[in-house]
Amino acid sequence: MRLRTDDDIYRARLVYLGPPGYTLPVHLPYAQYGLFMLLVPLYMFIHWLFTFTVELFPAWEIALAIVTTSFIFRYVDPDRPARMVIRTALTDWRRTREPAAEQRDPRLVASRIRIREELA
Amino acid sequence: MNRPSTPGYPAGHRAAPAGNRARSFDYQPTEELDEPTLDPALATSPGQGGVGVFQAPRPTPQRAPRPSAEPAPPVADADIDSPFLDLFGATRPRLPRAAIAGPGRVVEREQPPALAGPGRVVEREQPPALAGPGRVVDREHPPVIPHQPTAAAAPAEPGGPPATGRPVADLPPPPVIETFTVAEPAAAPATPRVPHQVGDRLPSPRPPAAPPTLSPTGDDVGPERRTDIPTARDRSAAAGPPAHPTPGPGLREAASATYREAPAGSLRETSAVPYREVPAVPPAGAPPAEAVPPATREVTPPRQRSAGEPARAPERRDRPIKPRRIKPPKIKFGDRDPAAELAITEIAGHLTFTPNTVTAWYWLPEVRWAFRPDAEREALLSAISEQYAGLAGFRLHLRRTTRPFPADEWARTIDTHTASPLPDVAGTPGWADHLVAAQRHLLSVNHAEGQTYLGVTFARRSLGDSLTERLLSAFGRGVAEGERRRLGRTVEQFDEVLGAFGMRGRRVTTQELEWLLYRSVALCMAPPGALSPITDGRWERGDLLALTEQVERYRTPYGSTVKLVNRMTGEERHVAVLAVGRMEPLEIPERHEPWLHFHERLPWPMEISTRVDILGSADSFRNLEHRLRMIRSQQLDYAEHGIDAPPELERLAKRALVIGDEMTTGLPVDSARAHGWHRIAVGGRTREECLERARRLIQLYSRELRVSLQHPKNQDWLAREFIPGEPIANTGYVRRMPVNLLAAALPQAASTVGDRRGDLIGRTAGTCRRPVFLDLHFPMEVRERSGLAVFVAEPGGGKSTLLGALGYLAARRGVQVTLLDPSGPLARLCAMPELRPYARVLNLTGSEHGTLAPYSLIPTPLRSEFAAGAGGDREYEIAVSNARAERRMLVQDICMMLVPPQVAREASTATLFRHAARQVPAEETSTLDDVVSCLGQLDDDAGRELANLLLDTAEMPLAMLFFGRPPEGLLGPDAALTVITMAGLRLPDLKIEREYWSAEEALALPMLHTAHRLAVRRCYGGSMSSRKLVGLDEAHFMEGWRSGRSFLVRLARDSRKWNLAALVASQNPRDILGLDVQNLVSTVFVGRIAEDAEIATEALRLLRVPVNDGYEATLASLSTADATSAARLGFREFVMRDVDGRVQKVRVDVSYVEGLLDHLDTTPTAVAAGGNLPTVLSDLEA
Repeated sequence: MRLRTDDDIYRARLVYLGPPGYTLPVHLPYAQYGLFMLLVPLYMFIHWLFTFTVELFPAWEIALAIVTTSFIFRYVDPDRPARMVIRTALTDWRRTREPAAEQRDPRLVASRIRIREELA
Repeated sequence: MNRPSTPGYPAGHRAAPAGNRARSFDYQPTEELDEPTLDPALATSPGQGGVGVFQAPRPTPQRAPRPSAEPAPPVADADIDSPFLDLFGATRPRLPRAAIAGPGRVVEREQPPALAGPGRVVEREQPPALAGPGRVVDREHPPVIPHQPTAAAAPAEPGGPPATGRPVADLPPPPVIETFTVAEPAAAPATPRVPHQVGDRLPSPRPPAAPPTLSPTGDDVGPERRTDIPTARDRSAAAGPPAHPTPGPGLREAASATYREAPAGSLRETSAVPYREVPAVPPAGAPPAEAVPPATREVTPPRQRSAGEPARAPERRDRPIKPRRIKPPKIKFGDRDPAAELAITEIAGHLTFTPNTVTAWYWLPEVRWAFRPDAEREALLSAISEQYAGLAGFRLHLRRTTRPFPADEWARTIDTHTASPLPDVAGTPGWADHLVAAQRHLLSVNHAEGQTYLGVTFARRSLGDSLTERLLSAFGRGVAEGERRRLGRTVEQFDEVLGAFGMRGRRVTTQELEWLLYRSVALCMAPPGALSPITDGRWERGDLLALTEQVERYRTPYGSTVKLVNRMTGEERHVAVLAVGRMEPLEIPERHEPWLHFHERLPWPMEISTRVDILGSADSFRNLEHRLRMIRSQQLDYAEHGIDAPPELERLAKRALVIGDEMTTGLPVDSARAHGWHRIAVGGRTREECLERARRLIQLYSRELRVSLQHPKNQDWLAREFIPGEPIANTGYVRRMPVNLLAAALPQAASTVGDRRGDLIGRTAGTCRRPVFLDLHFPMEVRERSGLAVFVAEPGGGKSTLLGALGYLAARRGVQVTLLDPSGPLARLCAMPELRPYARVLNLTGSEHGTLAPYSLIPTPLRSEFAAGAGGDREYEIAVSNARAERRMLVQDICMMLVPPQVAREASTATLFRHAARQVPAEETSTLDDVVSCLGQLDDDAGRELANLLLDTAEMPLAMLFFGRPPEGLLGPDAALTVITMAGLRLPDLKIEREYWSAEEALALPMLHTAHRLAVRRCYGGSMSSRKLVGLDEAHFMEGWRSGRSFLVRLARDSRKWNLAALVASQNPRDILGLDVQNLVSTVFVGRIAEDAEIATEALRLLRVPVNDGYEATLASLSTADATSAARLGFREFVMRDVDGRVQKVRVDVSYVEGLLDHLDTTPTAVAAGGNLPTVLSDLEA
């Protein structure tokens, strides 16, 4: 039996070519635009936290968002969606200390689980 | 818990000095570390986990020097080493010792002066006894530690058993004390008992003595503890005031040294602190205690803390007054809560409950995969995929974990089946040692049995349900009964789906779920020891879950592994979780192994977790259509922009269409999809080892299966995903596949062969490695089949060695063994020291007249062998006349072999021989001489000529064996092992015509025939039911003769009746097939057959493996030497078919029997060199 996954269908690269009639010079995946659009307000908010002002044209924020987006998408592939990359970055970053320092993750403890021999 | 206990060091023999010798050469020496070695510092305290494991206290390294340091060694010192002494009056001695301690002693004990008072000392010593394994308490006191250097320095791990063990030892008997107290008052109190411990994991004999000032963690105090108090008090009273001295300079030094070391360990170490009980401070003995603190403080090097102490001292004094539980002060850490609960809240029967979901768990038994016809395999896979498809709409969790092979269980089995093993010979490994060596070998080669669990998450719990559970659990009741009843009805559908052919799943038991949970939390770690011999693992309900408390998890930033540490055993594991990435198309039954079974090629156990959502046809079609539309719109986009669309889009769209078409028109099996995540966890003792293993696994998969395993970050979450009920780590590496492909993962595939009650002869060498046991009497005694076992291989394929090894092993078990080995090397078996008294070699070439007299080779049946009554009589008479007919046949054949072939070919010869055979009574007492004289008396010339010809041959020394009467007692049943050889006999080449054989070669043929008979003849001597084994080498000489065939048939038939295991080795399977006895063959070993494809085909037929399916190549590749190595091949492989029809590739490995291989080695050079066996076996297939 020849068995194969359906993954290649899900691996198709879907890119935004540009608005009708105008083709953008670079074709980026839709997800990249999406992430960019999320990041800009985020950076604006952070900016606002510092300055309590909102820029009319958030140049810095856009620049940072572009850099961040491209940085994130460097790790993205069909098997590693952006969401996972970001999440890994966030979770793995926390409390990341060499074990020599004896920082530990919580032990996962199962002793509270109640056990019944029979279901009903 | 360390390695599974090996039972059967009977009578305290510690298994031969074997040590490494017992281990297979397959593994590098380091491999043995896989069995966690016991670090005394980390051993659990007795009674921990509710298991009766008593860790015998052992002397810590510091012990040795002590005696010299001590001015007057206390009497009982060395021997009193039991932790239990604490619980009895024995505590008394302690005080004395403390008092005695001289300055020199101080160095050993790091105890700071803090413990000045004798009464104090006592207190401190008590707590260790209580140290429980699971306590979290240790973490809570870090701040306190600094000013207590001792505390910090002492125990690496909280509450270790050694801690308990040590105290007593330190204490000399009371009388001595007094004298010494006077002499050296200062040192004594200060240096209570903690020996100098450097690193933080070193075994500390006793938990650090905490300074009296510490606040107790009252919670854990058990009743025993309380009972101790009185003794403590007594002791302090006894010791009296003399105990508080000012510490000597030496002491201070020691203390400061301690302190230096302390900080490192401090966080973890505190164990002593938590346990120290305030109540222990003797109320009565209070005065001394008070006196102490000032002195102590003076001494303690870390001055910083001293300020706080005075304040605490009074508090402490008050406390004893009211014994009650005291809440330890909560100490805040930056760290998160050190323990997190699992998502699972309840296990009920085979269901597990998390707050949101309910999962039903099933146990999937192993299925046989190797050497099955492809049609069968496909049927299996399609049945499984149908079952998966039947679970559409549910999320599945497929887990595979392992259990170390229960070697002790096997040893017990074989021991019970061995009524009378060969008596031990002094100075050699006895039966018990033999078993122990085998068990060691089993453990050392890391055989693990797979266990596959399938969880079906089938219900989402309503808010009401989980709230009810929460409420009820406050009253200790858990999930509401109504909900459970409701679920009980719904799960029945899964029993139906999963129980059918295919997976044949059955509900798991709660014990199995516990085991799974423990194995998942302690991923890739050694399983708790006592459970290994499942049959009497004494884990009570919930014990295993409690053991999860000991497992700590560490990780590094963006690390590639997670580190797991078992606090109790000190075992440290690094685990890397790999995710299944891109997969190329697989041809599963034909070319590839099941893709989640494949990892078993590597010799270390791994864990598998697969989480999939099964989508039914509607869901999967919707999903696919959505994807198709996206692709189409992208294509449209390209067209709008006037750009060439990448060709892949069109290709993918087409494929999506095809799949969509299959989905809409095909069966549910075709349309069901499994979207999910597949992970494999690889463990190692060190990070490097773990990564190396991961690398090899990745390599293996990409090379052989074209599956790319990925090694993502976020390892701790991934490791957590293995635990039932825990969330999915992340959405990366989702694989979308038809259920067929998921079914073809087949993690439950396995390849076992052999019975589980025989001798260990090696391991399977297919995709997975399992030990192979073979009891050659199993077919007769249990399966009621014939005991004929056939060995086929090319010369050099290892037939003789295997035959010899089996003979040896059987002889050890007290089986009466007869081996016929014409070429003679097996005779050396009799020289093995443990067999020598019970073995004899019969060399036919040097034997007396009549040894092979044909008439007497066929025994006359005894009436007692048949049932009573008329039926029995009849059978008996038939048997007797059969024996006569067989004798005649044999005599004729032998005579034909003795005369020259030209004469034999004449028609009259046969007639005359037949005539003579008829004339001579066919009884055991007749001889060939009777035949000759009968022929000579004929008035026929031809007859006389034949008689003369026979007499001519009789002049050759070897032919004398056929004439005359057999000597008495030639082959008594006395010897356990008899090897019949024909040293010096030249065996003819059967491909050459008989005419061209030399006289000697011609004589070899009848000799072989009769020798075979002789070997078997011996077995008919004893009782019918006693176990007998006959090994016949070179059986291909029997081919082509009537008597040969009748011999084998009779052997096969009689084997059951006489409980006779007959091993027949031949170079050509055609001999056996040609004799048409293959229906009577129960066990088959086929070795390397590379030369002749036809023979290989015949061999497969003998194995009953489908021919022309590519398995011929397997036979050719057996025992393949590595062309690049100059060393000899150290192992032999066979394809084995057992009595139950299971076929598997087997690597014979009897290296655990000391000296056996040396004695069996037939290679000339090895014999000359003293039988050095090549030790380097390339065992790792990848």
